[in-house]
Amino acid sequence: MERRDLLRLGVGGAALLAGCAPQSRERRSDVIRLWVAPNDAEEGFWKVAVARWNALRRGLPVTFTTIPTAGSSEDTVLSALVAGTEPDLCTNIFSGFAVQLAALKQVVDLAALPGFAELVARRRMEAIVPGWTQGGRVCALPIYSSPTLIWWRADLLEANGLSHPPRTYDEVYQFSARYGRPGRRYGMQVVAGRDWRDRWFDFISFYYAVSGGLPYLDGAHALYDNRAGLEAATFMDRMFRRGWTAPDFDAEEPLVSGLAAGAVRGPWDVERFARIYPQTLARIAVGPMIAREAATANSGGGPTSTFSDSKGVVIFRSSRVTRQAFDFLAWVLGDEALNLLWLRRTGLSPARSDLLTNPRFAEYYRTNPLVRTYAEHVASARPPALSEYTIDIQKIMSSRLVEPLMTGQATPADALARAVGDTDRMLAAQA
Amino acid sequence: MRPLPHHRRRLSREAIVGLSLASAYLVFAAIFWAYPFFWLARLSVTQWRFFDEPVFTGARNFVRTIQDPQFLVSLWNVVRFLAFYLPLAFGGALLVAFGLRHVRRGKAFVALCFLLSNVSSGVALSLVFTKIFSSTGPLNTLIHDWTGARIPWTSHPTLAMLAIALVVAWKFVGYYGLILYSGLLTIPAEIYDAARLDHAGPLTRLARITLPMLNAQLMMVLVFAILVSFGLFTEPFLITGGGPSDSTVTPQMMIYETAFRRLQPSHAATMSIIVSLVSYLLIVLARRLFEKKVTLA
Repeated sequence: MERRDLLRLGVGGAALLAGCAPQSRERRSDVIRLWVAPNDAEEGFWKVAVARWNALRRGLPVTFTTIPTAGSSEDTVLSALVAGTEPDLCTNIFSGFAVQLAALKQVVDLAALPGFAELVARRRMEAIVPGWTQGGRVCALPIYSSPTLIWWRADLLEANGLSHPPRTYDEVYQFSARYGRPGRRYGMQVVAGRDWRDRWFDFISFYYAVSGGLPYLDGAHALYDNRAGLEAATFMDRMFRRGWTAPDFDAEEPLVSGLAAGAVRGPWDVERFARIYPQTLARIAVGPMIAREAATANSGGGPTSTFSDSKGVVIFRSSRVTRQAFDFLAWVLGDEALNLLWLRRTGLSPARSDLLTNPRFAEYYRTNPLVRTYAEHVASARPPALSEYTIDIQKIMSSRLVEPLMTGQATPADALARAVGDTDRMLAAQA
Repeated sequence: MRPLPHHRRRLSREAIVGLSLASAYLVFAAIFWAYPFFWLARLSVTQWRFFDEPVFTGARNFVRTIQDPQFLVSLWNVVRFLAFYLPLAFGGALLVAFGLRHVRRGKAFVALCFLLSNVSSGVALSLVFTKIFSSTGPLNTLIHDWTGARIPWTSHPTLAMLAIALVVAWKFVGYYGLILYSGLLTIPAEIYDAARLDHAGPLTRLARITLPMLNAQLMMVLVFAILVSFGLFTEPFLITGGGPSDSTVTPQMMIYETAFRRLQPSHAATMSIIVSLVSYLLIVLARRLFEKKVTLA
């Protein structure tokens, strides 16, 4: 082999290795980079908002792209952080992941930035921000709040003597006894699914409703082995023991065929049903999260508490334009016209407590009664517990509480005690 | 010592060409195998959370991992899976192999059909089987119409593992069957003729001739089956989510969730090393117990 050939081989190999080298960690300070949730509705909103900001020349220009993910946003954000390719701002962050990022010292404490208090006041977030605050630090700011409520097939309710959606356990029992045919059709879907996230849409929603929004976790201790937890667990247990619900509804959307007359659904389902099942959507009546009668009365006549599936925005610590990025964020989130645009584009209620009293949003809610029902619950909806160990906490909730209730292997009291005991032991071990 | 002649120390042109060609693979292996392997080994004896410098912690990760009840459950679940999977895989593969022997026309097409399940997307088929096994799905509706009962395929710990084994067996049985079929083709027909002359029945011929002569292929299938069981992820992740009560959680699911959900890559690296060792030991044990050197005298 000639020396020239060897040289070519060496140069080729070096080029190959250079291509595999990590990208430069040099951060830009002349532009704000933003990642947004990978869906058409949110992308459409940010396209308009970013264009307006750049046209106004109020600060550094913003460039945005959707989170480059094929799977979960969390995996992609984590990969980007490890590779040093994360943006300055990222939306679509759930509170548990934000706490994990804060524990890893990867995100900025937004509460410490100048203008934070003004933004909270301008956006009417005083009642919402405490749910995102841990030790006085706010590592993510909620963009929207999506309460969980129960959808009922109004035609099936009426055919069985109910003129309004059930509000209490007793009403659900009575309806299920009339409508349910074990093995054929069921009163309601009680368990949302097998994933740890699904606990937000069954036990935690039921617990918030019956407890009036009390927390289920306090630092290193689970709190749901109490009267409210027992009532929620007893409801789930009774629905399974009587055959008024099924372990899963994976085969089909149960509300469409009437396999189940009721199911917990979020505001994101409005758009999905409008697109796929418009005829079913026309027959849906949205009711509150069910609770015992006394608990409903205890809420002072206001909306029943429920779970809020919220996503927020973070600023990464590596950003060299933290102040400018927050200025952009404060402008977008604090602008009522942009909040209305968000609502129109996504159908998701902005995380603000004046949605029903602010005349700017009135017209939208007048013409969208389903979304309005969700907006009524934004102020009383509670976010998930702020914990770095959200996944383990909810996996234990699945395996020690929900699944034993589903199969009848444990009484509600025993299942609660085991779930809380295991959670406390896990948290103690992690500590 | 006399120095080597000059021409012995220089590489020949063929050797240089050979090394150059092999270097592509060596570079590939160094980047995508050796580097991750050493990084994994380093992680297993350190504490690292993605963004800080790894801190040496000795055997702490190993102690923590072997005391982790959920990890031990996941290893036990591999044994439970194998208990269902091996009979299904071997039974199904033998049926495929014997069936193929009797196919006269379109043998290649039939073999291709068996391979289709093997090359199908695990995600797609898991989603299909999730609906089939649902408590309100078509299979249960059929069973309910016939018997008045429903089978809790995914909500009973034992049945959930059986359901996973059925799905994985469906995916691999055709492939295993083709391996066994290739073995069947190598058995000389004269042996069977001689056995018939000695009045050996079908079961005797199966036990005394076919299965011993297929030992190499059966061992290959057994090793593949063990590797599949330790690498199981997509099917339990999508069909049962590891439930009910962690009865279908697998080591790969534990490793993934520990690294990328709990953000504890050091712990996950230790798990992966232990899983590799256990799978290797199980394969060695299986070979010691069942591998036979079969020769035609």
